[in-house]
Amino acid sequence: MIKAIFKGLIVATAILGGSAVAAQAAPLQLDSDIFVERQKRSEDGSVSVILAEPKTVVPGDSLVFVVKYKNVGAEAASDFAVTNPMPKAVRYAGSADGLELASVDGGKTYGFLSALKVKNADGTDRAASYADVTHIKWNLKQILAPGQGGKLVFRGVVK
Amino acid sequence: MGWRIRRLPKAAVLGALLASASFASPAFAAGTPAGTDITNVATASYETPGGSTIDVDSNPVVIKVDELLDVVVDNTDPGDVATQPGDTGEVLTFQVTNSGNGNEAFTLDADVAVTGDDFDPTLVQIVLDTNDNGVYDPGVDDVYVAGTNDPALDPDESITVFVIVDTPTGPTDGDRAEVSLSAVAVTGSGAPGTSFNGQGDGGGDAVVGTTGADDDDSGFLAIQAAILDLIKSATVLDPFGGSTAVPGSVITYQIVANVTGTGSLTNLVVSDPVPADTAYVPASIVFEGTGQTDATDTDEGSFDGTQISVDMGTVTSGESRTITFQVTIQ
Repeated sequence: MIKAIFKGLIVATAILGGSAVAAQAAPLQLDSDIFVERQKRSEDGSVSVILAEPKTVVPGDSLVFVVKYKNVGAEAASDFAVTNPMPKAVRYAGSADGLELASVDGGKTYGFLSALKVKNADGTDRAASYADVTHIKWNLKQILAPGQGGKLVFRGVVK
Repeated sequence: MGWRIRRLPKAAVLGALLASASFASPAFAAGTPAGTDITNVATASYETPGGSTIDVDSNPVVIKVDELLDVVVDNTDPGDVATQPGDTGEVLTFQVTNSGNGNEAFTLDADVAVTGDDFDPTLVQIVLDTNDNGVYDPGVDDVYVAGTNDPALDPDESITVFVIVDTPTGPTDGDRAEVSLSAVAVTGSGAPGTSFNGQGDGGGDAVVGTTGADDDDSGFLAIQAAILDLIKSATVLDPFGGSTAVPGSVITYQIVANVTGTGSLTNLVVSDPVPADTAYVPASIVFEGTGQTDATDTDEGSFDGTQISVDMGTVTSGESRTITFQVTIQ
């Protein structure tokens, strides 16, 4: 239901800002979804994990973020990048494709998480971990032809 | 370097995600406060064939963080609380912590009739540490009345709770009694995952966490009856180097205080009157090998004109203390 409301908002925004968007052509559609992993116990006692579309979550819940993109315009788009700031209450927990770049400094610089460092209080460096991630970004350096799209999937845990 | 978009079929994506589910067990205390909104917006940027860069925001997705109902009860007594048969007003100390993420009140209950122990004390009352000093202050700290002053705690906040009990006269040395305190979330408790619609702090649901929103812990009373045995002996030294008791002979008295049983004796003072027809030898008190002055002062021994007295302080069972002093036969 919440999602439906925000879809309505987006339409409204698009109409208000319509002139600028229309002039640029090649509009790109970006659609964000959050799912939560719920454990489902079947009658035989086995536990399976299902993805549910939650309205609410509790600390410790595992979330799955899905960002869908599609070129719905008439022209190709190039140098295509998708950035997702981590919500404050969410600790990043990795992506499905492993191709994302991470930022641990509020989105100023990006790199593969394994190569990033964080300063300790005493001035020394330590390797960055999931808990340090503030933004993630996919640099999809190919041409996105009209009608083409895709999906980026990553995980987080409610802090 | 070529970046490829992998358009995984849905089943494959889910498979990959589920396989990595094991690393998602979080280490959190109370966590994000109940009622917090998690809003996610992705942004894309791209270049048009014309060379201009365009930014696009996704729809925001908003999820509310529900209240997690969790509580932890800990007995904080350093060990068994020592008591004697018939003693009243023994204090057991507990800590109740709201380990959930919303403000929550808790119903407290004490159980003194736990099975499997040696005796059952009588519950006098449960007291909240109102002035938060960690010590039971009778008349200052509020007596707990269920449903009236259930302590409401913020996330991660703790309150000290005292359970006051009386020890019956029946039990004997070494007997122990278990006293348990339970705390249950007022909003609700039950199997983890149980949800109370719309009753969460911050406007969401309230969901029972891993503790079941119900916890208890036990403290113990132990009868510690320390028994004191005083063993007195005398040796006589006459003026001639022998051991006859004649005027002028010096009698050295030795008193050994043996403490047995369990526990300890506090403020143990041993006194002994100087016998008739003898005169105390000034400054002759020796306590544990150390000479004592006769004045009532900082050392343990004193002589007040009629009796010697030694303040031994606390003596733990299994230990002994030795006093000697001397008198002259007149």
